[in-house]
Amino acid sequence: MRDRLLSRWRGIVLSLIGVVAIVWLAATGQLGLYIHPRYYEFTVVMAVLAGIAVIAAFALVPGAADDDGHDHGDGHGHADGGGHGHADGDRHDHDHVHDDTAVARTGSGWRTTAWVAATALIVAGTVGALLVVPPSTLTSATVDQRDLNASAALTNAAADAAGQSATDLVGSDTTTFTVKDWASLLRQGAGEDYLAGKTADITGFVTPDPADPDNVFYVARFVVTCCAVDAQPVGVPVYLPGWQSDYAVDSWVHATGGFGSNPSTSSTQAIVLEPTALAAVDQPAEPYVY
Amino acid sequence: MIGLVIGAVVAAALIVLRLVTSDLDAGALPNRMRDFVTLATSVVIESLPFVFLGILISIVVRFWVPDRWLHRIMPRTPWLRRVVISLVGVLLPVCECGNVPLARGFIMKGFSVPEAMTFLLAAPILNPVTIVTTYQAFGWNDGILAGRIIGGFVIANLVGWVFSRHPQPEALLTPRFEAACRIEAGPSGSGSAGARPRLRRSVVAFAEETSTMLPALIVGSAIAGAIQVGLSRDILVALGSNPIWSVLALMLLAFVVAICSNVDAFFILAFGSTFLPGGVVAFLVFGAMVDVKMITLMRTTFTTAALVRLVAIVALASIALGFGVNLIA
Repeated sequence: MRDRLLSRWRGIVLSLIGVVAIVWLAATGQLGLYIHPRYYEFTVVMAVLAGIAVIAAFALVPGAADDDGHDHGDGHGHADGGGHGHADGDRHDHDHVHDDTAVARTGSGWRTTAWVAATALIVAGTVGALLVVPPSTLTSATVDQRDLNASAALTNAAADAAGQSATDLVGSDTTTFTVKDWASLLRQGAGEDYLAGKTADITGFVTPDPADPDNVFYVARFVVTCCAVDAQPVGVPVYLPGWQSDYAVDSWVHATGGFGSNPSTSSTQAIVLEPTALAAVDQPAEPYVY
Repeated sequence: MIGLVIGAVVAAALIVLRLVTSDLDAGALPNRMRDFVTLATSVVIESLPFVFLGILISIVVRFWVPDRWLHRIMPRTPWLRRVVISLVGVLLPVCECGNVPLARGFIMKGFSVPEAMTFLLAAPILNPVTIVTTYQAFGWNDGILAGRIIGGFVIANLVGWVFSRHPQPEALLTPRFEAACRIEAGPSGSGSAGARPRLRRSVVAFAEETSTMLPALIVGSAIAGAIQVGLSRDILVALGSNPIWSVLALMLLAFVVAICSNVDAFFILAFGSTFLPGGVVAFLVFGAMVDVKMITLMRTTFTTAALVRLVAIVALASIALGFGVNLIA
């Protein structure tokens, strides 16, 4: 009985948790913290369809448990009767996550307890991650793990793919440039001549330059192609000795200013933003760039 | 009716929980812990709709498509059947995590285990969305697009052929799934098919498939998130420009990032200029077929021993493909 209960209701409960989480994120405009906007409609439509299936399951499955002529419980009888290689070493696998009913059937009491506990752990973990921890962006801890600006090439190649070459970027209106555009220009080696007289107006979060954390920090953003897992950090270096006393790592800032050569001796960045205005701001509604 | 009341109570409890906790401060967690939760959640939110879609299509195939249709369409020769089924992805552009429930549906419908494996490996690559995004990312440069399409097709059929020589293909399935297939195919299954309404059977199938797939998806997402937080990418990226290491490093990168085949071309393009084309092709072929999340999902259906062999064949073939492209390009 407990087999059947878990082999059906575990999926229904996990589906319900997922559906509630997705619909709430969509309703509050926070899906963008996890996935690229091109998936919004698909994700919401599938969540609604799954929600309908969950409602149908709550309505129909309890009845099905009674008149069910060939459900799992019955099936295990067949399986045993067939004597089909249950003695095979590699098939008789007591993986508590996957082969749960098989284990519950053949195993002793503690095994049953173990996989009930594993299910409880998975459900609790899912509730914790999806419904308890408030939605949040990635932090500077992930910047450390993924080379900042390593993917600036992306901007050019992606722009090429869209029929817009890197030279277009050079020629275009710099007042609308994002952190990603500036990072890409700097990465290509845009010189001081080109940058002279241009003003950047950017918003991003603060992350220190590992080569000179006292004097240089980046105004950074994550570039997302699919979901937060593939997020690549990009950033514009800012020279401001003692910045750490005014701005916390991971806090969001709005910076304006021109570019100049980097006075820092240990930083690897040749050109930095020299801020004329720098102010703490709230995290924008769309923290990632695409 | 009592079921609906219970469902409404559970749903209300979950909604209230979300509303109450939404004002908590995420900053209370240490950054790494916070990023782990964000990354794992992002894999779940990204994959869940595809898994739902895969389960729904698999239910349609199992209960709503008459057997004789499939028999009429499919050729009889085993290798031709595998060739045809490796092209089914063209009609069903589901992401790879949605293909696992669909492959299970095919096996339950009476397709052989090697045929289902061929579908599982080929569909993420041989589908229009993947081909278009790969073309947008790389065009015809360096044979990357051709290498991916041809390589994916050949490897999927190679795996299908190797496993078709297994004396007892059902032994590749987990005992639990094999038992479920036997009931669906067995005399009791078809005999009582009319007795139970199809709608009810479909809903029970949804409950059972989600009960199998979602725990695996969640465990896989948690592992993917933990690897992302624990492993620095710099080393893998640095190795990507070496002729020998690029192939292996990029395959390892593909395995740990667990990114959908529909968009992985854009992801790897981010590093395109530093990586050799053979490494990129190996990334695009191996990553579409095998990664941490796919392993936990496939483990619901195939035994550990079968999976080890499958991953070994795919990995060796991808390495050969990568080296070959590096030699030519």
